[in-house]
Amino acid sequence: MPYEFEEILETIKMTEIEHFDIRTVTLGISLRDCADRNLEVTKQKIYDKLLKYGKNHVNYAKEIEAQYGISIANKRISITPISIPFDAFKMEEFVEIAQVLDKAAAEIGVDYLAGYSALVQKGFTNGEREMIKSIPYALSSTKRVCSSVNVATTKAGINMDAVNMMAEVIKNTAEMTKDSDSVGCAKLVVFCNVPEDNPFVAGAFHGISEPEVVLNVGISGPGVVLDAIREAGNVDLQQLSEVIKRTIFKITRAGELIGRNVAQRHGVPFGIVDISLAPTPAEGDSIADILKAMGVEDVGAPGTTAALAMLNDSVKKAGLMASSSVGGMSGAFIPVSEDQGMIRAAQSGNLSLEKLEAMTSVCSVGLDMIAVPGDTPTTTIAGIIADECAIGMINDKTTAVRIIPAFGKKVGEFVDYGGLLGKAPVMSVRNLSCEKLVMRGGKVPAPMRSLTN
Amino acid sequence: MRFTEDELRKITLNAINDLGEKASPELVKKVVASAVSKMQGPSDLPLPPKDQSIGRIILTAFGMNKPGVVSSITKELSDSNCDIQDISQKLMDEFFTMIMIVDITNSPKNMKQIQDSLNKIAEEIGFKVYVQHEDIFRQMHRI
Repeated sequence: MPYEFEEILETIKMTEIEHFDIRTVTLGISLRDCADRNLEVTKQKIYDKLLKYGKNHVNYAKEIEAQYGISIANKRISITPISIPFDAFKMEEFVEIAQVLDKAAAEIGVDYLAGYSALVQKGFTNGEREMIKSIPYALSSTKRVCSSVNVATTKAGINMDAVNMMAEVIKNTAEMTKDSDSVGCAKLVVFCNVPEDNPFVAGAFHGISEPEVVLNVGISGPGVVLDAIREAGNVDLQQLSEVIKRTIFKITRAGELIGRNVAQRHGVPFGIVDISLAPTPAEGDSIADILKAMGVEDVGAPGTTAALAMLNDSVKKAGLMASSSVGGMSGAFIPVSEDQGMIRAAQSGNLSLEKLEAMTSVCSVGLDMIAVPGDTPTTTIAGIIADECAIGMINDKTTAVRIIPAFGKKVGEFVDYGGLLGKAPVMSVRNLSCEKLVMRGGKVPAPMRSLTN
Repeated sequence: MRFTEDELRKITLNAINDLGEKASPELVKKVVASAVSKMQGPSDLPLPPKDQSIGRIILTAFGMNKPGVVSSITKELSDSNCDIQDISQKLMDEFFTMIMIVDITNSPKNMKQIQDSLNKIAEEIGFKVYVQHEDIFRQMHRI
């Protein structure tokens, strides 16, 4: 037999017991040719183009799922950051564009469409200001549209005016979606060093250097890594790193195979495989549990950052060996609401916002799906965003903030979205002001690291 | 053969130019239709894609050992015109595991249908049967 008994059983165990799946196949579609000075024509062009490329997306993914016997959890669409092609429009018109995107996403049958985005790390165009102002209205009047704004890069520094503006947008979005636990904020990400080929919603978009259409794939298997670490038992850290790498290598290879086949079925180029470990609210599919299995009592204990750093690094190393098309975030995600272990740690007080911030300096994203009290001042939210951007900017890595100032809720209460977004305990925020700092506005200049030429 | 919007526009413009002053909507439509059908030609008619999986699958079956397990699974496979290329089994106490490599290229069924019919059998005999494409294993375990 060409395969060992153990190898075959290992694969079956991964897919059937340990929740290994392809987390998302994301079809990136350029909308750069959809601009027209007439809004109605623009909307029709957007709708037609999305349907032209996207209409079979869900079916193709299902076919590949059936052909290979590996499940594909989500099928999604990403688009060109809409502030770029539609720069000439005003706020109300952007909202109408968001509604067309929502309609197209529903027609295609995807749960999220991402790319209601702008890149303003160095400054705003008029259209970008209008687009950012429209975000709360867009997110409160649509279901499937996800938004992101990049406010800082290592090359450009931090645009503090944009940070302040986004803090305001987040607060407004929370209020405008207060009837559904401020769910709008769960679909809104503020980035530093945003990757242009990330397949994971809500921060996905189809970067401006990307081709007309491209298919990216995000894999995920916290459960597989967790079981591998548990089985490894009491080994030293180098050996543990090997165990993680071996596991990630295998799932990356499977992910790339699936991605390439879906892309082939579409007849579009394959982009990247994002090897991020993305948790889900399902029991056992948790990054927190991996960190605990590595040896910390709970997430938030001293040592957590070191464990996460090693996990993240091992994931990247294995991914690089397994595929030459690794991209996106490719690391460990530590969203609070989407991870049972993180929820428990935050709820019991073991995990504070400050510790979480330290962890984000070594993980692949940032402060993700964090609920804070609804009366948190706007300037404090701006301060939290600025801190994350600083970590990303100085360390030349992606960081992001997806924070939910849960309208009308206090520490100890919950926001509960069900499904993949999960539920998050409202965490306490330090009651110290940074108003004078952030209201200075302007820009944090680009760091030493930006001068690499 | 399918045409993009641009190609159709070009054909239409050509037709209008050729017709010159005679061009009327009906006439243009007729000329364009005949041009398109000429370009397509009978041999270019799109064939419906064949709904069939190719290659080999790995079938794994687990359950408590009892007589007739292998025969009921292999009967289903032979009914579906699948070719069993390798088979290996282990018995640990009462727990029976069987792995087969099966070529499904000549089967009229696709992998999903094979999986569905095997699931029916598996339920009857109290077994778990998993079917996955061989490529997955090759990707994961061979460099």
